[in-house]
Amino acid sequence: MSDDHDRFDNFSRRTLMKGGAAGAAMLPMGARAQSMSAGGASATGPSVQRIEVSLDINGQRRDLTIDTRSTLLDVLRHELELTGSKKGCDHGQCGACTVHVDGQRTLSCLTLAAQAEGTKVVTIEGLSDEDNLHPMQRAFVENDAFQCGYCTPGQIMSGVACITEGHAGSDAEIREYMSGNLCRCAAYPNIVAAVKQARTEMGG
Amino acid sequence: MAQDYTPVPASKDNMGKPVARYEALQKVTGAKIYAEDLPVPGRPAYAWMVTSGIAKGRITAIDDTEARAIPGVQLIVTHENVGQLGKLETFANGGLAITEVGPLAGPEVHHDGQPVALIVADTFEAAREASYKLAISYAEESPTATFGDAGATEKALGDINPEYEPIRFNDAEAALANSAHTIDAEYRTPIQHHNPIELFSTTAYWEGGRLVLHEPSQYVWGLKHSAADLMQVDADNVRVKSPFVGGAFGSKGAVTHRTALAALAAKRLGRPVKLVAMRDQGFTHSGHRQETRQSVRLGCDANGRLTGYDHRSWEFTARTTPYYNGGLDKCAAMYAFDAVRTDEYVVQGDRNVPTFMRSPAEVPTIYALEAAMNELAAEAGIDPVEFRKINDTRVNPVNGAPYTSRSLNQCLDAVADSFGWTGRDPRPGSMREGDWLIGWGCSMAMYPTQMGPSTARLIVRRNGSALIEVAAHDVGTGCYTIAAQAAGERLGIDPQRIEVRMGDSRLPPGPISGGSISTASVTSAVANACDRIVEELGLSSDASTDERAAAMAGMSEPEIEVLGRWTPPGMGEDALQAMYDGGVRITGGNMDERTMFAFGAEMVEVRVNERTREIRVPRIHGAFAAGHIMNPRTAHSQYLGGLIWGIGSALHEATEIDHKRARYTNDNIAEYLIPVNADIGEVNIVMVPERDDEINVLGVKGIGELANVGTPAAITDAIWHATGTRIRDLPVRLEKLL
Ligand code: FES
Ligand code: FES
Repeated sequence: MSDDHDRFDNFSRRTLMKGGAAGAAMLPMGARAQSMSAGGASATGPSVQRIEVSLDINGQRRDLTIDTRSTLLDVLRHELELTGSKKGCDHGQCGACTVHVDGQRTLSCLTLAAQAEGTKVVTIEGLSDEDNLHPMQRAFVENDAFQCGYCTPGQIMSGVACITEGHAGSDAEIREYMSGNLCRCAAYPNIVAAVKQARTEMGG
Repeated sequence: MAQDYTPVPASKDNMGKPVARYEALQKVTGAKIYAEDLPVPGRPAYAWMVTSGIAKGRITAIDDTEARAIPGVQLIVTHENVGQLGKLETFANGGLAITEVGPLAGPEVHHDGQPVALIVADTFEAAREASYKLAISYAEESPTATFGDAGATEKALGDINPEYEPIRFNDAEAALANSAHTIDAEYRTPIQHHNPIELFSTTAYWEGGRLVLHEPSQYVWGLKHSAADLMQVDADNVRVKSPFVGGAFGSKGAVTHRTALAALAAKRLGRPVKLVAMRDQGFTHSGHRQETRQSVRLGCDANGRLTGYDHRSWEFTARTTPYYNGGLDKCAAMYAFDAVRTDEYVVQGDRNVPTFMRSPAEVPTIYALEAAMNELAAEAGIDPVEFRKINDTRVNPVNGAPYTSRSLNQCLDAVADSFGWTGRDPRPGSMREGDWLIGWGCSMAMYPTQMGPSTARLIVRRNGSALIEVAAHDVGTGCYTIAAQAAGERLGIDPQRIEVRMGDSRLPPGPISGGSISTASVTSAVANACDRIVEELGLSSDASTDERAAAMAGMSEPEIEVLGRWTPPGMGEDALQAMYDGGVRITGGNMDERTMFAFGAEMVEVRVNERTREIRVPRIHGAFAAGHIMNPRTAHSQYLGGLIWGIGSALHEATEIDHKRARYTNDNIAEYLIPVNADIGEVNIVMVPERDDEINVLGVKGIGELANVGTPAAITDAIWHATGTRIRDLPVRLEKLL
């Protein structure tokens, strides 16, 4: 992993559960946002700071002025009308907001939008085009790997990463590395089947 | 023993085709199909609900100076400036409100997490920050949290509902006294929360005098009428859009405070307002499965024939609104009891109001009955599968009403075969592998077959396509898919050429998505619409699908349109009108003349680590029979979800409460444990063909709430079989086995 990646909170619920230390990785970004802000808000006064960012989302450059506190998830959903990434908790607990940042699965609710500058963000909307589904999307359809579908964008983004990370070697490994994505409809066995099918197609 | 897993099973006798979900492509591409994702006219404002920090008392002062100073804050609504909202009735009184207490009704606080203010700002971030700055002072009183806490008040159900009658069928006391074997046990079930992954949201905007709501809903027509009553406008001037729901499980049926708050804010600001209850707020916002106590006495004779059954239940509910599930009449219908006595109670405290949660009455009560069945079978030295077969019944013993169909024995055989049950050594502690103690357990699953009125508009076109419109709901169940299948099968149209529109109150009304009634009710209305089309085409009702298709191709008009209607037999026509008025009418289960249930049987293997007491479920099998299966693919997924919910109920799920402050302490989905992928091993589902020509037009039984009933009894019995320890307090976590 390059140094660039150190700026991202590439941790899942599982790594959070394994050790509290990962949680600390979130903190330094606040400092970066502050330093870039033009605003003169005092420590005690109203704290709105706007910041100009240029993001690369699904291969498109998006220049925006955003609240420094905005998460990548909220910017996707509120500013860019990219509502495929879902908010299930806003706390890094459910995985519904999973996107790829420079190819790594990332919880967009735990990522400040400002942190994403200089990276390539891919969301479910950018994974494929309509006529040419990604093998993982096709596998989810064919294996009925969802019911309500609300966790599905996150599951699919995690599923792709699970394979590219090399964590889809066995059923048990897939289950383990897909456990950061909760599915309340409990489509888990079908999700495992879908990841296996896509693994074959993706050559993973 | 591991079996090849088939996510999408093939059809068997009396099953439709396992066609892919109507909306599958949209769900894998992140399309805007959920209420919160729908576009709104103009830039919305963002609202944040401020919730009470105490469980009981009153607000003495609100200082919003600092909150108002946050740049971007546009509006703060509290009980002081909310104005006059309309009043809604609760379920018990024929309405849909979750609580008797209206939104921001006054300074009184009735439970922790009660909404006490709404802050609306230009951005989500500003609204959230302002919520931290809103200073609310309270005069706090000591609240009652749950069973056993000071101030809890008990009432018999008859004191709340004058129509409720406890069961007194023969003399249960005498029957128990004359039994060869008896069990007398108390079972406890915890608070659970639905926690759909989609949060509870409402987006509201006004177009002149018309209100548009985007809200995930299990009943858009009901929500339309409720919102109209709250905002004191004509129901025709309210539109609710909820094309797909991101999981509900009962939590999106009642009308909560946020609907009126969002609508009010949108009106005052003259712009769209988005309000999302955050995950922790969801724990107090939209109900839960209440904790219960179940006291069961059960007896059998020396041959294993059941004699007396005495079941008493206590449900913990809200002081303001004594919502309850009841349901012991269903337990009483399950086996050939000689005598039954039931008594049901509620206990009230200072809590938010419970609501339906997937198989609301059945999960706690059938768990208790099935656990007692397993314990009694062991006591009598009879295999638990055999014990259930000995006590099978063709009628509800209490009133003699025959089952329209009942395939419990076939399900027991099918699951025993798939699981390999005959290899079970009945002695506890008899199976192990290394450090792992192995246990096997079983249970019955059941759910009443229920139905409600529905309509369905059907348009068929000369070009071979069709359109179905009904304000029914898809909460992940496959409702769009099966509606298209129902019409396609009857008219000889490829379901792929049938467009389906649901989840919009502008469409003709469909039933609430609750009580597992949607499939039976909606397909019956679609079938009625198809019959009307056949009539319009001048065909006889026994015309073949080929003849029907040919007649459509030769129509003189480009399209014809009909409105199908269906009311379950025995329900008056006023039930249809009630649905048009946003009411809820459901029938089924235990009736005077007939008894209507779907059945299943489940078997689990549990492994308990001898040293750490860690509990795993490496495999679970279920066999289910539920009349005509519209679509084996979506049915399989519902059974799968149900079985895994059953595992969660048995081993993981419980909302913990602080007894002193009556506050939920694990109100997030990291600490409220639900099964994750790594918790689930082998799952095998057998669909047992069953035909029921009596039950409704297509012979369909609802299945969404079937598979999670009974599972905890199978798992607790397996834990006993592994360890010799009986745990009667759910969930069973390792500390209970230390
Ligand atoms: S919304 Fe990001 S993990 Fe739940
Ligand atoms: S499909 Fe509903 S939460 Fe996963």
